[in-house]
This record gives sequence, structure tokens and C-alpha cells, in this order.
Amino acid sequence: MYKFAQFTMVRAGMALFTMIFVSFIVFSLMELVPGDCAERYLAFKNTQGSPISIAEIDSERARLGLDRPYVVRWVDWIYNAFQGKFGDSCILRVDISQLLGQKFWLSLGITLAALLLAYSIAIPVGIISATSNNPYLNNSLRLVSYLGLALPNFLLALMIMLFSTMVFGESLTGLFSKEFRDAAWSFDKLMNFLSRAWLPVIILGWSATAFAIQTVRALMSDEIGKLYVTAAAARGVSGSRLLLRYPAKHALTPIINSLGFDMNRIFNELPIIALILTLTEAGSLLIEALARSNDQQLAGAIIFLLTATIVTINFLTDIALALTDPRIRRSIIG
Amino acid sequence: MSEIKTIDSQKDQKLKEAYFTAGQGQLIWARFKKQKAAMVGAFVLIFLILSGIFAPFLTPYDPTIAGRNDTYLNGAPQIPKFCDENGCSFRPFIYSFERSRSIATNFRWITEINRDERRYVEFFVEGSEYKYFNFNVDLPGDILDFRIPGLTFNTHLFGVDEGMIHIFGTDATGKDIFSRTLHAINTSLAVGTIGVFIAFVLALAIGGLSGYYGGWIDSSLQMLTDAVRTIPGIPLFMAIAAFIPDTWSAEMRFFVISMILGLIGWPTLARRVRTHLLTERNQEYVLAAQLCGASAGHVIRRHLLPSFTSYIIVDLIITFPYMVLSETALSFIGLGLKDPVNSLGVMLQSVTNADVMLNYQWYFIPVVVFIMLVLAFVFVGDGLRDAADPYGDAGK
Repeated sequence: MYKFAQFTMVRAGMALFTMIFVSFIVFSLMELVPGDCAERYLAFKNTQGSPISIAEIDSERARLGLDRPYVVRWVDWIYNAFQGKFGDSCILRVDISQLLGQKFWLSLGITLAALLLAYSIAIPVGIISATSNNPYLNNSLRLVSYLGLALPNFLLALMIMLFSTMVFGESLTGLFSKEFRDAAWSFDKLMNFLSRAWLPVIILGWSATAFAIQTVRALMSDEIGKLYVTAAAARGVSGSRLLLRYPAKHALTPIINSLGFDMNRIFNELPIIALILTLTEAGSLLIEALARSNDQQLAGAIIFLLTATIVTINFLTDIALALTDPRIRRSIIG
Repeated sequence: MSEIKTIDSQKDQKLKEAYFTAGQGQLIWARFKKQKAAMVGAFVLIFLILSGIFAPFLTPYDPTIAGRNDTYLNGAPQIPKFCDENGCSFRPFIYSFERSRSIATNFRWITEINRDERRYVEFFVEGSEYKYFNFNVDLPGDILDFRIPGLTFNTHLFGVDEGMIHIFGTDATGKDIFSRTLHAINTSLAVGTIGVFIAFVLALAIGGLSGYYGGWIDSSLQMLTDAVRTIPGIPLFMAIAAFIPDTWSAEMRFFVISMILGLIGWPTLARRVRTHLLTERNQEYVLAAQLCGASAGHVIRRHLLPSFTSYIIVDLIITFPYMVLSETALSFIGLGLKDPVNSLGVMLQSVTNADVMLNYQWYFIPVVVFIMLVLAFVFVGDGLRDAADPYGDAGK
């Protein structure tokens, strides 16, 4: 138990280090954007007809605390970020946590659903393809997983859009129907959401599934060749009992270990898919923040939240694995 | 009888000898040749790379706005034919057409093909000029600028005697989609090469340090690598790309974007280099070399590096399509390359609107070419990975 507590502490320390390191990168990038919040705000005011002067910019800077040294502002930023306070958006002048709120959870939900979909297909299919000797099955599975790599999600989304506009005359876009977009959450809204959310989930899950099948297959074929499997088979264990109890169990560990990074990959694609399917509720906020308005505060907050999610998942999966496998505990604390 | 046997066994002996004395490259090639899918992939890949390199010659028109056909905007593909109801011709031909639009057609161009008037396809025609070996580097600072005029040609593989030919159709500004597609292959290959090269140098340095020294250097470098892996790449890329000022030239943008791709893409490669080094470092032949008194430098150069160059090459080929695809995705959302530079992403920028989806489906032809390119890379990479694995045969 003591060892486990020690492991948890070390692992939490590493997670914290990662977060601080990433926040430094993100914050530095935000700083690199030409112009700061004060200038942008006053430039906006200027377009409304009130002229601005250098003195005004300076006073706005002082008000926003932008005249303090770089490191101080960074410490201040992460201190607040860890409490979930990201300040106001530069352009929209709205509290960021309010702006993101529900949208972030929706995006996270879609990503997790895609991840779940990917592995619920990949684990059985991967195991079957690693164990079967049927060349047709193997080759067709191989082709599908290659296609998953070669036909990236956004091209698939485009193809589906093309197909649906040609066949149904309607593109399957958006996460909610019009009448539910601003409504409060209710059972009907949930149903409406589910009836539309499957498409982004499938599209996002597509290449993730292809990737996961390859991973599961490679891990399984590695494990199957090992001596303990032969030994178990010699003892008379056979069939699915042999597969699931011995190699599959071992092959699962690295998969759980990399869930956080898988999630990272899926999250990566979300903004692009969101743009194609016009999911204003999800990732396209990021594109909006970056490409359209150069809103560094908002973009920084989104990237920080994404990273925090991935780090948390990595931390949790490591803890879960360490609970079941003492070797993992030893790998870190020696 | 016995004579034949001796010849046979001699042959066998020779084969065996050839097998045991073959270099790693020969062994990989021998194993690679056996894989049909990978061989097909390799041929497709070579074909596509060559058509990318010779794009200016193979395509009839300039892919930029200079080569546009303003009488045939959003025009459908024109497929050359040999025969029709008016008889056959030895020389392939297309038809001439009339375009009109009015309120009756909702101001959409309607093309009427005139089947009686043929336009014959000609080969090796003279057209727009293009250059090879022409380098014009314009970096900030005068010393870094250099110019090589290169060679200028103006022969194109095919064209028509009258008007223009567009075998993949044209886009909204009248640019030839076929010309753009082949030039886009070039761009993608260039982006991939630069990106992979930068990622490779970083990966070799960081993974190499980490794998060769081990210990705390390894632990801290691994922590750094993991931290970089945790940052969501595309959002980060978007953040960086958004800072690129609009005033930069297309070429400058192109270099910066390939560089950023490389800077984001190194962690996976670095991990592989590290794993290779960590396992190879403890192999017996390394110990043997060390016991013979070889210096560290000699061990690295003569034993460690050759032991994993083939793996590294395979890894590079596998990484390549991801770079190409990231570039495509980014250009597609408008954060990557911009117009005068052609890439698949740039060409796809306008396809999400319903008008294109319903009426101009030939915008999607380049997608097929690109799926082929990426698939070919994946097949070759996978085939090479299997071929480079010395224990690959044992498992089968």
C-alpha cells in the first residue's frame, strides 16, 4: 500500500510537471501573437467610432495587468487556469469559462464516444484477425485499416456530405435542430442531440478504429507467440478461454496505457470535422478563435483544457494499471 | 545423375552463401519483392512521384491563375475519344462547346457540346514556360539570397489544336484541375520531405541522446517527449499558423508550415530511435566490439548506426503520409498553404458548399489521386517494415 501511495505521488508530480510545461508553451505562444488584448480591445472600440490614443492603450494595459513582467503573468495565468478561471476573451469580452462551458463538455463527450466506438470495434476485430488464419479475412481487414489511414476523417466527412447531398438532398450538419439549439437541456433535446451526434462520432471514430485495429492486432500477435501461451495450451486450456485469459489480458495493458494519446489524436481532428459538419457547438470554436479573430486568450484556454484532459486520462489509466499490475509501479519508482 | 546432384548442391551452396553474405539492403529487397501488395504500392508510388516531378511537362497548362481558361469556368471534364457516331479517328479528340447562361438557367453556365466540331489532341505541343533546377531563395538578409537560373522548357506532353483541354475539368476560376493535381503531388512531396527531415534530425538527436546515455538524461528527455506528445498537435499548429502574417509570400508560408509540421512530428520518431538504441546497445555484438577494444565512436558508427538505418528509413516512410495529410487538413481549413501554391488542401478549400457538391463533383477527382498516393506510401512502408524485420520470417 505504501508503494502504491508512493507511485501515485510520483505519477501526480509528473502529471503536474507536464501541465506546467505545456502551459508555459501555450502561454509563450499566446505572447507571440502580434498585438495584445489591450490593443485589440481598443482597436475594436475604434471601429465603433471612438478614437484612441497611446495613453488609453497603456491605461488599458495596466487595467488588464499586461504591464507586469512575463513570468509574473505566466504564474498568474496558470494559477487561475488550474482553478478554471481563464479571464475574459479578448475579442468577445465574455468570461471564457462561460463561453466554453457546455461546448467543451459536448466536444469531450463526442471524443470519448468516438474512442469508445473505436475500441469496442477494434478489440474483438483485432483479436480475431490476429488469431485467424483465413487469408481473405486478414487481407480485407488489412485493407480497411489501411484505408482508415489513407482516407483521413475530414475526407471521409466530405465524402459523406457529398453522398448525402446527392442522395438525400440534405446535408447532415449541426448537433441540434434549430428549435433545440438554445433550449435548456431536456429529454427531447437529448434525443435530438443523439439523433445527430452519431455522425461526427462515427467519422471521428473511423481512423481511430483503423489505428486501434492495427495496434490490437500487432500486440495480440506478439503475445500469442509467447511461451506462457504455449504452456497454457499444453495444460489443456483452449479456445476463447485461452485467448481471453492469457494473451488478451496482457495485450490490453499497453492499450489502456495509450488511451490518453489516442484521445489526443481524436481531439486533433475534431476542429476540422466540426468545420465541415458545422458543429458550432463543438471544436469549431477553436478555429473561430484562431483563424478568424486571433483571440489568443480563448485559444490558450482551449488548448490548456485539452491538455489537462489528456494528462488526467493518462494519470488515471496509469493508476488503474498500477492497481492491477505491480510491475508498473516498479517501472517508475524503481 | 550424380553429376546433376552435385551441380544442384553447388547451386544450393551458392544460394546459401549468397544469403549469408548478403548485405542488409539485399536481404530487405529480397523479402520486399515477395510481398505483392507492397510491390504494387511501390510501382504506384514511383509512378506518382515521377508524375509529380515531371508535372510541368505532363500537364498542358500552368496550374496558377496564369493558365486559366476564362471561357470554361467550372467546366466538366473533357474525356478524349477515338470514336463517335461520325466515325473513328486515329487521333483522339474532344468536342467544341458553346456556353451560355441566362435567368432561365439560374445564371449557371450551361455547356452545349457541339458533336460535329472536333478538337484534336496533339502531342508535344509548345505552351507555357516552366523551369527546372531553378532556385530562388529569398531569405531575410542579402547574403542568404541566391539564384540559379536553371533550364527553361515549353514543351508539354499534350494539348489540343484549338482552345484548351481539361481532362479533369476546371474549377471556379477556370484553372485546369489536372494540372493542379499533378503540381499538388509535388507540393505534398516537398512538404513531406522537409517535415520528415526536420522531425528526423530532432528525433535522431533527442532519441539518440536519450537511448545512448540512458539514466537520468533518458528519464528527463522522455518526460519532455511525453509532454510534447500530450499537446494536441493540430490545435497547436493552428495556433502557430494563425500567427503567420498574411503579408508573407506563398513560398515563405510553405517553408514555415513544413517546418512546423516537422517540429510537431518528432516525438513518435524519437521514441522509436530511443527504443532501437536501447535494445541494440545491449546486444552481444556491441559487447563483443567493446571487448575487442573498439572506441565508443567506432561502435556507434560501425555497429549501432548500420544496425538501425533500415528501421529508420522505414519509420521515415511511414511518417511521410501523416505529414502530407496534416498539411492537407490544415490547408483545407485555410490555415496552411494559400493559393498560388497548389496542394490538395488548397484545392479542396471550396468544396464544402452545397453548390459544388451538387453540381461540380469533379472537384473531388484529386482526392482519389491523393488517396492513392497515401495508400501507396502506407503499403510500401508496411512492406518495408515487414521486410526489415530480421525475425519476420521466423514467425510465419
